[in-house]
Amino acid sequence: MIEIKNLQKSFGELQVLKGIDLKIDEREVVVIIGPSGSGKSTLLRCINYLEEPTGGEIIVDNIPLNGEANINKVREEVGMVFQRFNLFPHMTVLENITLAPQKVKKIEKSEAEKTAHELLNKVGLSDKAENYPDQLSGGQQQRVAIARALAMNPKVMLFDEPTSALDPEMVGEVLEVMRNLAKSGMTMVIVTHEMGFAREVGTRLLFVDGGYIVEQGIPREVFENPKEERTKSFLSKVL
Amino acid sequence: MDFNLDLVLNSFPLLLIGAGVTVQITLLSVIVGIIIGLFIGIARICSFKLLRILAAMYVDFFRGTPLLVQIFLIYFAIPVLTGQRMDPFVAAISACGINSGAYVAEIFRAGIQSIDAGQMEAGRSLGMTWTQTMRYIIVPQAFKRVIPPLGNEFIALLKDSSLVSVIGFEELTRRGQLIIARTYGSLEIWLSVAIIYLAMTLTISRFVAYLEKKFNVENKR
Repeated sequence: MIEIKNLQKSFGELQVLKGIDLKIDEREVVVIIGPSGSGKSTLLRCINYLEEPTGGEIIVDNIPLNGEANINKVREEVGMVFQRFNLFPHMTVLENITLAPQKVKKIEKSEAEKTAHELLNKVGLSDKAENYPDQLSGGQQQRVAIARALAMNPKVMLFDEPTSALDPEMVGEVLEVMRNLAKSGMTMVIVTHEMGFAREVGTRLLFVDGGYIVEQGIPREVFENPKEERTKSFLSKVL
Repeated sequence: MDFNLDLVLNSFPLLLIGAGVTVQITLLSVIVGIIIGLFIGIARICSFKLLRILAAMYVDFFRGTPLLVQIFLIYFAIPVLTGQRMDPFVAAISACGINSGAYVAEIFRAGIQSIDAGQMEAGRSLGMTWTQTMRYIIVPQAFKRVIPPLGNEFIALLKDSSLVSVIGFEELTRRGQLIIARTYGSLEIWLSVAIIYLAMTLTISRFVAYLEKKFNVENKR
């Protein structure tokens, strides 16, 4: 589904990604952990080209990411959920969800709204369709953001620290939605600090540090029996 | 001191005709300014370097030279190149509109850049193009934020339109000058002219305040 070869990314003098090779298959739930500044968010943001790589290759669903047309094509198939939700504040929840399907996929308004209501039902917010984002709690906003991404019927969902900006009591409701999504067979790539969730839902864990994938494996095995020194030292601080 | 109230009353209809012309120039210049400003403002932040540089040069030139000189350039200097006489009305609108476009461009640019970068990222990540994201997400949010500075710009433009009196265009200020030339009533006429300008600028500022309030009530932010 996703193939990344020797991916590199520099911001000016600072090289954040120093050569990442990664293959992600359909229905995998890949969880990326690592210290701040390790490059894990940058890696995720390169997959849909929100960051333009300075070297290497990315292929999503057999489409190589090069040229504006291909990039837009890939973005239609890759949904993204941000740390700070990034809902459109001037639109209702329903409008937030139906905008892209109408403009990008040229779906009829009534059809898009029908899908939106189904998705809102799925994330437990069927009564909030007519509300504006700032009338919702953080957890509710993030669930709307997930519904908005799902409305494009993506093949892959990227999550960039989806619970980091939430009050603690709202983390659970967002993770619950993500858990159900994983169960339904969605291919997911998740950058997170929620170690318990990573262990429970992830099918593969990547530990990223210093611009490289330091270690990867089945989450439970990596957590219980890390092989690399850096992984051990990181896990000893966060677990 | 002698204040001739009759002169004020008798001149008022003529001055009001001039005020009508002032409003006309201002409105047309505002439209020209907004159209130019929207394009130049977006060009200032687009991804084509050449467009960015050209747009920055436009802003630098028209903000960095006096409007009075620009009016002279358009009315007197361009005919030297083309060999055609310039219509004062066209010259007045062009000069004010082109000048205002530079300020409006900066207002739009600042308004667009004040929108959180995450909004563009969210739009793009959903597969929308840069233009679609600008049109449906960024510009509608920026629009509300630019209403107050745009209001200021239009008040400034209305007052600056008095400068086109130098090319003989009979707007409010020029009308005043002409009446004074005939009657020597400097005090009465300039005071009347000032009060008419004030009435017009106050009207604009009230209207802008109303728009601001309306948009804030309609959509939350």
